[in-house]
Amino acid sequence: MSSFAPSALAGYLIVSGLLLTIGLVGFLVRRNLIVMFLCTELMFQGAAIAFVAVGRYLFDYSGQVMVIFILTVAAAEAALALALVVLLHRQKETLDADAYVELQE
Amino acid sequence: MDLFLPYIACVTLALTVFAALRPSPPSLQIAMVAIGAAAGGWLIGIVTGSLSAFGDVSHGIFFIIFSLCAIAAAIRMITHQRPVYCALHFVLVVIASAGLLLMLEAEFMAFALVIVYAGAILITYMFVLMLANQAENPDEPYTQATYDRVPREPAAAVAVGFLLLCLITGTVTGGTSALPQQSDTNAQWFVLEKLSTQFEHAVFEVAPEFAWPPVSENKHIVQFGMDGAFIVSQKGEVLLLDKSMLPTNTQMVGWSLVNDFPVTIELAGVILLMAMFGAAVLARRAIELSEREKRIAILGQDTEEAGGDT
Repeated sequence: MSSFAPSALAGYLIVSGLLLTIGLVGFLVRRNLIVMFLCTELMFQGAAIAFVAVGRYLFDYSGQVMVIFILTVAAAEAALALALVVLLHRQKETLDADAYVELQE
Repeated sequence: MDLFLPYIACVTLALTVFAALRPSPPSLQIAMVAIGAAAGGWLIGIVTGSLSAFGDVSHGIFFIIFSLCAIAAAIRMITHQRPVYCALHFVLVVIASAGLLLMLEAEFMAFALVIVYAGAILITYMFVLMLANQAENPDEPYTQATYDRVPREPAAAVAVGFLLLCLITGTVTGGTSALPQQSDTNAQWFVLEKLSTQFEHAVFEVAPEFAWPPVSENKHIVQFGMDGAFIVSQKGEVLLLDKSMLPTNTQMVGWSLVNDFPVTIELAGVILLMAMFGAAVLARRAIELSEREKRIAILGQDTEEAGGDT
């Protein structure tokens, strides 16, 4: 591996920050339950790029190992969250997050 | 003024994302996404300085292309009204970030990302989207439900999100140059000497007459000099090692995985198993059937009149 300039690292970190921010905005803005969970996957993407970029900069492979764990968590989250969404959709026939307001009590 | 340029780019991006979130005709939304991607590219340009920061100009151009693709697809994903198109735009984000990982010399992770995300997780999302499909309103065909068209509190959400982005930008522009630059790749040599069969084969390819095994000094057989890494055999032969012998990226990731995080990978396996059981239990539908319905389901006919149990 050749060396890696700090400003190049800054570029990768900004891209990951942008993906994280757009995912966060999407999670707050969208009202469809499935799209909300899709936006959390977008935030995972941003985190993964940041991990790999910093790992590449420091010549440390732990960054890529963390991405494996991110993939694990994302897969587990997708399976469980989508099962819950299917369950909720059977009860009310809608995917609107605001329809489940009574859960807050 | 130079100090505020990144923040101006952040605010431009925030305004275009906010405008793209408003319900508007598709052509206007695509224009907003283009402006947003341009603002993101501007921000990246300010922070990076020049394309030569990547060592190679072609590398820099690929970085810009992949990152603009990722940002534009991400904005389009959170603004698109149809959930299926959101999922498809997310696939584009995954592929673009796989390109970024390829340029970070993380080949294994790039392909794993495409296989696991685009291949497995997104298919699950697609299944659920199809399963939970809304019946279209017959009065207004080709329009989405209200909750897909009208965003929830876009101004507040964009403000919070881009405050976070401003914070990240400030940290990144001020912080990365203060990071220590580690340039040694000795760790890779120490992994190679643990993979003794591979090391012996690599040495045999270069120098067939080298007397294996080499001497070890301070528990390491690879030693470092002015010209790089070398090994010394028992007979005193010195062999300079070439960087092409180093373990590949995938080998290093696997080594780090089982050597540094042995418990965590066990836990990851347990988490995946639990998620599988949990999803199966949650999605299982218990159907309550009466005795008569069971008879109909099993025998294909109603036998009650023929003197069945009551």
